[in-house]
Amino acid sequence: MTDPSTPIARAESSSMATSRTRGSFGVALLRITLGVIILATWWGNIGDDFYDGDNFEGFFGWAFQSAEEGGNGSSLSFFKSILDNTLLKAPELFGWFQTIIEGLIGFALLIGGFTRLASLGALAFFTGLFLTYFGGEEWIWTYVILMASSLTVFLNYGGRMLGVDQAIAKNNGDSPAGLLW
Amino acid sequence: MIAKLLNLLSGPDEQRNAPLWPLALARILMGLLWLYSLRWKLPPDFTSSTETSLREWLELEVEHAVLPFYGNFIESVVLPNFTLFAWLVFLAELAVGLSLLFGLFTRVGALVGLGLSLNLLVGLLEVPGEWPWAYVMMAMWHGTLLVSGAGNLFGLDGVRFRGETPSQTSSTSSSSSSSN
Repeated sequence: MTDPSTPIARAESSSMATSRTRGSFGVALLRITLGVIILATWWGNIGDDFYDGDNFEGFFGWAFQSAEEGGNGSSLSFFKSILDNTLLKAPELFGWFQTIIEGLIGFALLIGGFTRLASLGALAFFTGLFLTYFGGEEWIWTYVILMASSLTVFLNYGGRMLGVDQAIAKNNGDSPAGLLW
Repeated sequence: MIAKLLNLLSGPDEQRNAPLWPLALARILMGLLWLYSLRWKLPPDFTSSTETSLREWLELEVEHAVLPFYGNFIESVVLPNFTLFAWLVFLAELAVGLSLLFGLFTRVGALVGLGLSLNLLVGLLEVPGEWPWAYVMMAMWHGTLLVSGAGNLFGLDGVRFRGETPSQTSSTSSSSSSSN
């Protein structure tokens, strides 16, 4: 263990603190970008009637259809079974749910309010997309990057800088189990 | 100046300071992304039997150029000298991948990675089937890695730093603080 009074330890500690401060500023920008991306995509999807029950069901059908037949060719059949037996039993209802939740997540990330909850929601959303697209034509790293971004925003309390969470935490302390802000 | 702005925008230290390890893990992930992406542009022919080749991507960039001068540049300068530029792309992506994976000269790697990401964004913005937000997110990540010093943890930059003498670290620290 390094003696904390030595010049090396002091310099190292100062450098690490600087890195962390810059890190959280960077994570705040990541959070805002993530919010903009989700909201822009959400808005485009609304314009395209993507969340309509039939289109929603059609999307998952396309994702798991083979590439030779014009689909994405995703390969995780177990995930397709889960989707078939859950979401796709009521695509209309889930389309509405997705419309509301996706918009809320995007807005929360943009303003940095209830960021930990929103980033967990974003992580679940992007993990679902990752599993949906896995093994197909789609560039899967897109979803890896988005999952990593959501997880980093969650782990680094991304709303505590340039975000509403800063004021919420100041007035209320940490949230229960640290899962809200 | 920037430090004052950061202090103004952020809360108390205990709220502001974030753990470095998620950024260090993300840095490693970004390194793997670049190295994995090399598999379809390997020398000497920079092609892949199963995926779109580098030359085909460049031709798509010309066909769907969002900025006319960018498309003209690819068409009149890059494609006629394909081998030279293919080597440059390959070596740049290899260097960025290794830099981020091992956390060595991370800021330089992140800066070059930022440039490559922005180049991909501009080049592929209008190419059918591409989702430009992926490149926006890549650019943001490299920007974050550039300012965060993510190579100090789980990286060789941290080893380099610890290997310096006390006087060197003090001056590094003070210059780092002043530039913050």
